[in-house]
Amino acid sequence: MRLTEAQLAVLEAASATDDRPIDDLAAEIDEKPETVTRAAFQLEDEGLLAVSETDRVSVRITDEGHEYVETDLPEIRLYRAALDAGAADAPRSMGEVIGRADLEGPAVDIALSNYARKGYGTIESGEITADPDMDPAEDPESLALEAIVSAAADREGADGTPADRQTTVQPPESVDADVLESLERRGLVERSESTVRSVALSEDGVTALMEGIETAETVDRLTPELLTSGEWRDVEFAEYNVEADAETAAGGRKHILRQTADRVKDVLVGMGFREMEGPHADAEFWINDCLFMPQDHPARTHWDQFALDLPPMEEIPPGLLDRVERAHREGWGEDGDGYHSPWTEDVARAIDLRGHTTSLSMRHLSGFALGDLEPPQRFFSVEKVYRNDTLDPTHLLEFFQIEGWVMAEDLSVRDLMGTFEEFYRQFGITDVQFKPHYNPYTEPSFELFGRHPETGELIEIGNSGMFREEVLGPLGVECDVMAWGLALERLLMLMYGFDDIRDVHGTLCDLELLRETEVVR
Amino acid sequence: MPVVDVDPDELRELTGHEKTDEEFIDDLFALGLEFEGETEEGELQLEFAPDRLDRLSVEGIARSLRYHYGDARGVHVPDTNDADWTIEVADSVPDERPYVTGAIVRGVDLDDDALDSLIQLQEKLHATMGRKRAKGAIGIHDLAMIKGSAGTDGEANTVTYRGVAPDGDTFVPLDSDAEMSPADVLADHDTGRTYADLVAEYDRYPAIYDDLGLFSFPPVINGRRTEVTAGSRELLVEMTGTDQWTIDRMLAIVCYALSARGATIEDVEVAYPDAAGATSASPDAGADDPDADTPHPSAGRTLVRPDLEVTEKSVSHERIESTIGVAFDPDEVVDLFERSGLDATYTLGEEVVYDVEIPPYRVDVLHPYDLVDDVGRAYGFNDLEPRYPDVGTVGGRHDRSRLEDAARASLVGLGFEDLLNFHMISGPENYDRLRVDPGTEVLGGGDPVTITEPYSEDYTQLRTWALPSLLMVLERNTHRAYPQDLAEIGLAAERDDAENTRVAERRTVAAVLARTDASYEDAKARLQAVCRDFDVDLATPPTDHPTFIDGRTAAVEIDGERVGVIGEVHPAVLVEHDLELPVAAFEFRLDALE
Repeated sequence: MRLTEAQLAVLEAASATDDRPIDDLAAEIDEKPETVTRAAFQLEDEGLLAVSETDRVSVRITDEGHEYVETDLPEIRLYRAALDAGAADAPRSMGEVIGRADLEGPAVDIALSNYARKGYGTIESGEITADPDMDPAEDPESLALEAIVSAAADREGADGTPADRQTTVQPPESVDADVLESLERRGLVERSESTVRSVALSEDGVTALMEGIETAETVDRLTPELLTSGEWRDVEFAEYNVEADAETAAGGRKHILRQTADRVKDVLVGMGFREMEGPHADAEFWINDCLFMPQDHPARTHWDQFALDLPPMEEIPPGLLDRVERAHREGWGEDGDGYHSPWTEDVARAIDLRGHTTSLSMRHLSGFALGDLEPPQRFFSVEKVYRNDTLDPTHLLEFFQIEGWVMAEDLSVRDLMGTFEEFYRQFGITDVQFKPHYNPYTEPSFELFGRHPETGELIEIGNSGMFREEVLGPLGVECDVMAWGLALERLLMLMYGFDDIRDVHGTLCDLELLRETEVVR
Repeated sequence: MPVVDVDPDELRELTGHEKTDEEFIDDLFALGLEFEGETEEGELQLEFAPDRLDRLSVEGIARSLRYHYGDARGVHVPDTNDADWTIEVADSVPDERPYVTGAIVRGVDLDDDALDSLIQLQEKLHATMGRKRAKGAIGIHDLAMIKGSAGTDGEANTVTYRGVAPDGDTFVPLDSDAEMSPADVLADHDTGRTYADLVAEYDRYPAIYDDLGLFSFPPVINGRRTEVTAGSRELLVEMTGTDQWTIDRMLAIVCYALSARGATIEDVEVAYPDAAGATSASPDAGADDPDADTPHPSAGRTLVRPDLEVTEKSVSHERIESTIGVAFDPDEVVDLFERSGLDATYTLGEEVVYDVEIPPYRVDVLHPYDLVDDVGRAYGFNDLEPRYPDVGTVGGRHDRSRLEDAARASLVGLGFEDLLNFHMISGPENYDRLRVDPGTEVLGGGDPVTITEPYSEDYTQLRTWALPSLLMVLERNTHRAYPQDLAEIGLAAERDDAENTRVAERRTVAAVLARTDASYEDAKARLQAVCRDFDVDLATPPTDHPTFIDGRTAAVEIDGERVGVIGEVHPAVLVEHDLELPVAAFEFRLDALE
């Protein structure tokens, strides 16, 4: 329950048992009656208050009336003078009595017209008589005026402000309605009628008070009208419950895996790497043969890679093709041995979906993509690769591979370690361990391990190494190249602890999960 | 990667080190063998990369540990006794599997653990170097059960590797009681069925005979007669395959393992047919010899096996230092070589070069560079101080990926949820469910790039457009809050033989608006906004597309070129995807925004 401060004050001042006039409440809580009235009606709308209305008569003594309170009514002064003149015994001249009463001007007519009406005596043919039984001290009109003055004085006293002639009061009970009417007719009293609103607490109001109420402000919304009219200066703005939940806004957002890829790309560009681009469907030559993967390697069966129903690739640089074949058959360099595995051009030219983006590295290192490269160079890609694997919570048939390499003179294993430590440090992985490993295309090779930032578990975070001479020699590269690869999804799962990568990547995705996942920073 | 089960008690016995399991696990990690868990019997399951195949047995792992601990140094080659037995190769041997090698092993004392280890080594070698027995297959026999025959040269103690007709001679294979022909084995025996593919194309099957007849059917199964037991004391180890080097290396690894158990290795002569091709050990096998014209590739050669010869490669000191990034004293390098199980000598001069001797079980050393890795491992790669290379290069994004990002930002700004779907899809999802026929001119109607042997019927080709993926996502998310305004920028591809890769790949921009009041105008408003962002001219002349409602479909023309389609999706397509509210959509080529 939220109310404005004024509403709350009214509610607290109101009584459940008595109707209380709004003016009384206003006086009590020191608010303007208008404010209290508005609050009362708002509270009535809420069902917390009952507002009742009664008509009320108020009276005020006019200046003339006040004069007569001080000097007595003219007819009383005339009566007293008449008595003095002996009019009780015999009629007296009107002129003599009026002179004796010190009446002048309009007061004469007033005295004369009321003298007979009230029965103080008779006025006939310029002569006046007085009824000796009349008592001016008992004059009802005079008493009524005094009662009203007294009530006004009481009222003002209670307010703590000085009485003044403008004060209105309810007619005292002692004053007869006829008398009042007569005074009003004589212009000694002004009568006004008004509607008086009183309030009483409803049951709901009592309950709300017992449960406790917070206060709020008055203007709900800032409107164009408020601004243009300038009214905004006079209003108070309703306080909102700023802690309450609002309906969540649904906006567009970049896919969480794209965000992760962006983050990786930012880091790599910052480390001086240029982005590579190349075909998803490519000859096995670029995917595997250049990488010195023997053609009978288990990873080259259709169980691991997706062969496509396509005619063979025609354009492969012939010199490169020959050199790669020679490396496979005979090895590279004086003391090199080749593989004791079959090698055919048919296999090399067959087109597959790439199982890794190292095919892009081969295209670039050979000069086929961008022309011959002079060291130093750094290149990367964050692109899709395809593996014929079982689709399960941690394996997808297609996923993003982060691929990067550095080409320079005299690179050592220490340079490799320094580069990758720096890369992983950007993702909060600070204690990279290098486990000696074997890849057909790199030597030395290292699996990279790091501690999960949350669980502390030691997990594989990448595969790396220095490209072999059998790879670089045929490509025509005469300096060192170190390279590494990592599944982007693995990094994502590490960063977010997703259980099932299929919720995120692919047509099985859950829109709600995508909408709710924390963004990458 | 191969996994080997190793009994830690055996490790303790073979290394002579009373280490705890945990200590062994740490030491093995340093060698590159990763602890994966324990078997029910408490054996350590160790996984490692398939280079050091000499570590496929507890004997090999113990040898590596002994070098690691410094208990062994340099190259060790087991002594071998002179040959008493001959494996003679007949002309009738299948052309597809011409090579054989072998050794005699005496003084074997195989307890159950050692026998298990030998069987495991055999299986693991089959799985790796042997390429699931296709390239090399191992047969180990109880020599006592073999009766040598007189060879063609009159030598005693000869067994013959030859061909046999599929329904020719019979034998009792392992795990069976019945006499079977090779064809019977392939049809009726479990192991036979498993390996039947290996010889499916052969006219004659490989077979090994002694004086008593057929006793082994490589690469499928051995005969029961010569089965090895814990009681066997003398063994014939033979290997057949498609490459001599491969089976000789596999044999070396087995001989080293048996030698480590205290056995003595004895040479075997392998006699290939004469160049003239006249020899035929058994008349019946050669009866209809169809390959009489094709001489055996090793015709005329006689080999003494096992081949335990040490090979030599040279590597320069400079190469070692520059690769590892550490300055070494030459003697220190020699020490590291010896701790790796290699021998090295060098001569001081202008350039220090090491002549390194490599034992025959090291199948992974193809290049002198591989020796540098051994020095690094012995030194301890993890002891190296990483350093950030002092190499300056300028980074940057590819134009295509920057364009893609900009378009994605534009779509996201318009309130689209960016999606990421698979590039692989099924034919029905790509075409039929959107009422599109392959090979038609409409967007999405391109010829499919299909996968030769799809693993799953859900992923049989590359998608020719992205709208099907977005409709699949809508279909899966009807229980989620609407509106669902989805967009994707991703790969679409179709067959195009004019391309070098035979595939036309493009990035496509696709968007759907799924909401109760979705209309053409909603889609058009957003498409206009994207085009405005890229300052390109958009026109949408009316067109027909089976996926969309007639009269509410337009071609997307950007800068005068037709690059896509926009419209309200046809109710039949919506109902097909269980959607109960309208969808407006567009799709066009990303490069139109360039």
